[in-house]
Amino acid sequence: MTTRLWDIGTDIGGTFTDIIAVRPDTNETRIAKVPSRPDAPVTAMLEALAAVGVAPEAVRRFVHGTTRVTNALVEERLPRVALVATAGFEDVLEIARYRREELYRLDIRPKALPLVPASLCFGIRERLDPTGKVVEALAKAEVERLKAWLVANAVESVAICLLHSYANPAHEKEIGAALEGVVPHVCVSHEINPEAREYERASSTAFNAAAMPIAVEYLTELERRLPIGAGLQVFHSAGAMVPVPAVKRRPLVMAMSGPAAGVSASARMARTLDRPRVLTFDMGGTTTDVCLIVDGAAEMTDTRMMGGRPLRQPMLAVHSIGAGGGSIVTLGPGGLAVGPKSAGSMPGPACYGRGGDRPTITDANAVLGYLDPEARLGDTIQIDVEAARRVIAPIAAELGFGITETAMGIIKVAGAAMARALRRVTVERGVDGRDCTLLAFGGGGPMHAAGLADMYGLSEIIVPAASSAFSALGCLTADFSFLQQGTVRMPLANFPHAAFAARVAELSGEATGPLLANGIAREEITVEHVALMRYSAQSDSIPVPFTMPLDQARLEADFHRRHRDLFGYATEEACVIEALRIQARKPSSVPFSRPDVGRAQGTARSRLCVFDASGAVETAIVPRETMSGVTFGPAIIEDAWSTVVVPPGWQVRPDDLGNLFMTRSAA
Amino acid sequence: MSTLDPFVVEVIRHGLSAAAEEMSLVMTRSARSPLLREAGDLSSAIMDAAGGLVGQGRDIPIHLGAMCYTVPELLKVYPAATMREGDAIVYNVGALGGNHLNDVKVARPVFVDGRLVAFALSLAHWPDVGGTWPGSYLANAVDTFQEAIRIPPLLIANTDGVNRPVLDFILANVRDPVSCEGDLLAQLAATSAAERRIREMCAQHGTDTFIAAMARLHDLSEAEMRAAIADLPDGTYEGDDFLDDGGPDAAPSRIHVRIEIRGDEATFDLSGSADRVATFCNTTPFIARSAVVYAARILSGRDMQQNAGALRPLTIITRPGSILEPGWKAAVAAGNHETSMRVVDAVFRAMENVIPERLSAGGPATSGLLAFAEPLPDESWRMLYEVHGGGEGARHDRDGAPATRVHLANTSNTPAEVIEANYAIRVERQSIRRGAGGKGRYVGGDGIVRSYRVLAPSMWLTTCVERTKIPPYGLQGGEAGAPYVITLERDGVVSALPGKANLLLEAGDLVTIEGCGGGGFGAPPPSS
Repeated sequence: MTTRLWDIGTDIGGTFTDIIAVRPDTNETRIAKVPSRPDAPVTAMLEALAAVGVAPEAVRRFVHGTTRVTNALVEERLPRVALVATAGFEDVLEIARYRREELYRLDIRPKALPLVPASLCFGIRERLDPTGKVVEALAKAEVERLKAWLVANAVESVAICLLHSYANPAHEKEIGAALEGVVPHVCVSHEINPEAREYERASSTAFNAAAMPIAVEYLTELERRLPIGAGLQVFHSAGAMVPVPAVKRRPLVMAMSGPAAGVSASARMARTLDRPRVLTFDMGGTTTDVCLIVDGAAEMTDTRMMGGRPLRQPMLAVHSIGAGGGSIVTLGPGGLAVGPKSAGSMPGPACYGRGGDRPTITDANAVLGYLDPEARLGDTIQIDVEAARRVIAPIAAELGFGITETAMGIIKVAGAAMARALRRVTVERGVDGRDCTLLAFGGGGPMHAAGLADMYGLSEIIVPAASSAFSALGCLTADFSFLQQGTVRMPLANFPHAAFAARVAELSGEATGPLLANGIAREEITVEHVALMRYSAQSDSIPVPFTMPLDQARLEADFHRRHRDLFGYATEEACVIEALRIQARKPSSVPFSRPDVGRAQGTARSRLCVFDASGAVETAIVPRETMSGVTFGPAIIEDAWSTVVVPPGWQVRPDDLGNLFMTRSAA
Repeated sequence: MSTLDPFVVEVIRHGLSAAAEEMSLVMTRSARSPLLREAGDLSSAIMDAAGGLVGQGRDIPIHLGAMCYTVPELLKVYPAATMREGDAIVYNVGALGGNHLNDVKVARPVFVDGRLVAFALSLAHWPDVGGTWPGSYLANAVDTFQEAIRIPPLLIANTDGVNRPVLDFILANVRDPVSCEGDLLAQLAATSAAERRIREMCAQHGTDTFIAAMARLHDLSEAEMRAAIADLPDGTYEGDDFLDDGGPDAAPSRIHVRIEIRGDEATFDLSGSADRVATFCNTTPFIARSAVVYAARILSGRDMQQNAGALRPLTIITRPGSILEPGWKAAVAAGNHETSMRVVDAVFRAMENVIPERLSAGGPATSGLLAFAEPLPDESWRMLYEVHGGGEGARHDRDGAPATRVHLANTSNTPAEVIEANYAIRVERQSIRRGAGGKGRYVGGDGIVRSYRVLAPSMWLTTCVERTKIPPYGLQGGEAGAPYVITLERDGVVSALPGKANLLLEAGDLVTIEGCGGGGFGAPPPSS
């Protein structure tokens, strides 16, 4: 249809919904930010569409990232979910794994409450052994007993997690089939997370079951109000787009949807700009997300904690810390601390002038002169520097420092927490973080990037065009892909070649299916294979890419080398392929284009800013869209949504697409 | 040197904790024994050049407290002047800040520009270190020689790599040498990782600043601990707790503490505790101190940085010849995690009426250990070392949590699916023990139940469980929780098993453990 001209990417955050609209025939790009509406997310999305001046009838593709579903789960707004487990193991969620995060805090409950209460956990008689052999058959009468119990308890959604189902899904399949039409939503653990360790699998399956009613309702409404068929897509946690029907069955894939979109756009940018090692630095109001990108691909992880409960599925390895612009600064006898408490969006930092009375990182930035006292954040918030000074004063007095010095100290301490996050994601991969380029986005990333780079020893920073709506952009420019992972547990000694090839083919089929269903031609799809390998006596596996047909000797050599990279040693022990991860991908062809950030700037200005102990210096304020050539620090680069801080000793230059490159000036 | 920037101190504090956490991550990701990789029975720390602990991981409190002594004691017999860059030293003996022989330490001195600036210390519980009984827990051991191999400080690696003869000597004396070798390599890798981080910090901030910052961190913790003690009312407080038994047929063994709070200092005198016992329930004075350090941290009611500086205002006294200072030849395998917990409970009982709101009622203050050892045809052994939690004790403002571990313990359970895939055992049941928690205004947490069916022709079982006779206490009028129960079902006959024993199992045996309930807090409402 000729009127459908626009591709839309949108990231629905807790506070704001970012939207980016691209018209592929002209490369016209528009960006907007509207308040999110947790009560009416679809309405807010259509409002965002209106804000970029695009009618629903003019939309060709609509890709969105949202943490709406997982936020509902973390905030315990749960539908009525039941868990079915092997008899004798129905308390699996309540038992969990014992270990506590806080060693010395008796005031904190040592573990999260189970996602499903004991009254909604059901034990069914059946038993498999670890090889999948049936020890006790599943009786028809047991299934009938379960059906009656589910109906009597008015269960909306049921998670089925039987012991060793990763090795043999027959019993789960049988129960799942029997419950179709009995309970509105059914999910089985061998589909959600076919891997060993019953608690983590049950937790992941229960999360998925809890998400299903919420996700189906929301996605169905979206399909109704934006009927563009296969053009309607969701961004998933493993860093690509996936069609809506697949998400309805596995809403858990949306868990890290928003942050993953930003990382995904970063990976694309790393490839385009040919940067082999990139650290993403996405600093928002309450959290900061970091991720490592090596050779254009973001690192993956298998597990993360959500509200104190494990969620296990392949995801981009985004590491989040509870420190963002709104994080509250406290001074205890043990020293200065930042977060994890946040002033949130209401009242927000003191300098927002909306009643915030606790010092935050943003207040420290205001004191240092980084925030425009005349206009900021889409002209909706007026920065009150005096209010920021007032809330920092008591800490300064107690430390015996000036207010400005204290503000600098706060930025330094926040930087230490962020540097620790960067270290964490690099050491997990055995990469020296100092070789990386820092890709800074989100509201606060470009403001803190140079300070963090100085602290961590990084020499290049890229602030991408549309940095404040970068996750929305990521939704639009990412690849189309789907990923399937399964336990195989095959030793390399006496390797079962035929069984291996059959399993690879099976998983490839499952990964490719959703793409084919979305009308993508088979020849456009590439399939990537990763073996998760370990020494036979280890638990944790490390990812080793391979191609088919398998070169076994090469795979083994690659494993030993990777183990040595990560841990500094390798041995002669036998090794095992624990699991396979197969990703089907259709590479994106959507180009990055220069966005219209839509804010006319007046003449060049300047104001006093503080960067180091030498005190305040007159600093040029440069409108981002008017930049050309090299700008030397000290400078503050501003657009409608974000601020880039260029301290003395740094310089910045834009490219044709509006990306900014910051490096240290020659001394 | 100019005055130390407090913000740089904070940055270095983060860096030290991150380095220790990285060590533990390297361990769990690359170690071999399920006890390390699944249960996480390991700890990591960074010390200053004198051995004072300054940064630690989120690991096991009993280890971390004892590790405050592990390097200072080492330096008394292995002078720093003899250490070289690249050296790593392995040891496990009690006298050198040790706890029990299973916990093998690797210490790595870190040099920057030829100057010793710090130590990285990795502690890992090896599932077997030789001795009489597989798993190295012999309930009625008369001395340490029956327990396990004793490793004095030995150079296990230097810049040339691993010292093979030393490694081979150790591996020749353990029952699962393949796992132990992988575990030891992981410990070496972990300490190397910390070494890199420490050097980076020195390069970034300057070595002098780094050293000064470590000293400042000790001072800050000392100041905070002093402030916390000053907040407690001056006085003398006494408390008792009892081990179920000192071993087979023994009477309960008393642990007594006399706490004297004076201004900003506190003395914990444990001299009134029982004499040395003829079982593995003795413990080292370092463990007694570690338990007191943990308890003091709870009494402080503050979320402070844990390091050696916090110990300075504390005087901790043990009596030679007692169960807490039995001499270096006494058997101590169980005392590490059982007797130590009694010290914590004695302190809690002493302070019950002073600061009840900071405490919790009695809980699963034990390892709840069942260790299964399966002899294999090649005469090696496969070892499952499994801890069992129970219900947390209630507090002044909330119920206790079910199925958890408390205080000095923090290792995990091993998933049933992992046990069944690795051992000739079927886990037949794993549930919550409903109603086990003690009544009270707030109720103690419920315990657990787990059953193990033996599928091998034979297995050697060790039990090491407290709170089987003396139940977890309630506080402020709350009722006690249900005690631990261990049973053996053989040929349809169910018999009770003692909390501390070594015995042989046969194919088809079913061992069931019921983890305790937590104690309640406050008098129960009349209706309940």
